[in-house]
Amino acid sequence: MGITTQYTVDLDEVGPVEVSVAAYGSGQPFLLLHGGAGPQSVTGFAEKFAAAHDVRVLVPTHPGFGGTVRPESLTSVPGLAALYGALLDQLDLTDVTVVGNSIGGWITAEIALLKSPRVSGIVLVDAVGIEVSGHPVADFFSLTMDQVFELSFHDPEPFRVDPATLPPAAQAIAAGNRAAIAVYAGSAMTDPTLLGRLGSLEIPTLVLWGESDGIVDVDYGRAYAAAIPMARFQLLPGTGHSPQLETPDQVDHAIWDSADTDFSAFAR
Amino acid sequence: MPKTAVTRITHSCHLIEIGGRTFLTDPWFSTRPGYYQGEPIAIGIPDLPRLDGVLISHEHYDHCDLDAFAAYRDRAVPLFVAGTVVEAARKHGFTNVTALAPWQEAEVGGVTITATPAEHGVYEVTFVLRSGSDAVYFAGDTLLIPELAEIPERLGHISVALLPTNGLHIRPADDMQVVMNADEAAELTAVLKPELAVPHHYAFTKGFLGDRLITRSDKNPLRYQDAVRDLAPGTSVRIVEPGIRIEL
Repeated sequence: MGITTQYTVDLDEVGPVEVSVAAYGSGQPFLLLHGGAGPQSVTGFAEKFAAAHDVRVLVPTHPGFGGTVRPESLTSVPGLAALYGALLDQLDLTDVTVVGNSIGGWITAEIALLKSPRVSGIVLVDAVGIEVSGHPVADFFSLTMDQVFELSFHDPEPFRVDPATLPPAAQAIAAGNRAAIAVYAGSAMTDPTLLGRLGSLEIPTLVLWGESDGIVDVDYGRAYAAAIPMARFQLLPGTGHSPQLETPDQVDHAIWDSADTDFSAFAR
Repeated sequence: MPKTAVTRITHSCHLIEIGGRTFLTDPWFSTRPGYYQGEPIAIGIPDLPRLDGVLISHEHYDHCDLDAFAAYRDRAVPLFVAGTVVEAARKHGFTNVTALAPWQEAEVGGVTITATPAEHGVYEVTFVLRSGSDAVYFAGDTLLIPELAEIPERLGHISVALLPTNGLHIRPADDMQVVMNADEAAELTAVLKPELAVPHHYAFTKGFLGDRLITRSDKNPLRYQDAVRDLAPGTSVRIVEPGIRIEL
């Protein structure tokens, strides 16, 4: 079980922001950022990873998700990146590896671009955020939930739920999550300037991609890795857009044992 | 007669006292993503003593942190550097910058500074500081190369050797080795035959992910101490925390 703490982080041009952070384990710090599926899409992996390796995994809930409050002026992915950069300062953490899935991966890329010495490496797991010609991000807002499940998983059956059968509170939270996605990521879920900015990164980067990801395809992932000078790309078979949910052991192995894979896997 | 002494500040950054003069080697006073000392920085720039000279072996950030070192109170301090560092040093406002190629020498207040060979991923030099019968050899992070065996022949007895020992490899560059390892440093110690040797450059880390994806290195300086016991039993190896001053 994680221990959840509410932090108040002062952010330039936004003011104080309340952020809820679940912490698992102790030791080497990891910041694990969820995507549009919300914090529960990463907490299981956080618990497993922390227990397996004696590390500390912090899972913030992006303000506006999970029923939390989003300050009106916190409206962008770079804003969330600034929030977590300030949180790392406040917690005085060093040698932090930031791991993010989907929109969480986009936030991770923006955190790396802040170039804080507190962040020593990043792991992008089926991240969105860049524009790649011919490889658009699936239009989440025009899809039915059934279609979202089809595109998100290699095998959607174990994960499929009918939103209409959810209790009212869960439906309200899901609606809040959807609204938060729209505010932070927009309908395109990309920033046309991001790809060009990634070339300035000098941070060790692991790009993990589910081979069956129908939200952002494998070539999109390869383009992400190719844009970051020190990135290594690794394809994860039998998994989709949320590998930490569908095949968590693969993600654990890819991160923890990344030194064991061969060097030709580097994007460049 | 002033004592010859060495104070490791962090990584390959030392204060060397010799002939009554004080020199700084390979300044590194900050951190960046993926570049961490892995140990404290024992002395901050405002607390540095008055320096008679600064030696810089090559331009890599962890050896040539000019952005931070530009805050040193006297940018007229003499810098003796690898040729590839000159332009950056001048851009940072240092006005007394001398490039030394291998076997070229300069003199500061009775201390002779001789650049000696090196090999690394980029152009690098090592240095010998001599005053009278005392000489300190400083190697930033070179590989072991045959030319280093010429040092005692050409420059005489070495009293103190400051050597890298982590055998750093760069994984994405076909796992290329760019720094001597503990056994190689012990081999060099056997050639130089100093009374005292201090290993450095072993605590360096690129962080959790960087140590897995980018670099591979040996962080245990005891391996060097063990190897010297076999190969150069006349040399005393001192493994020191940053900030500890040791006299010859």
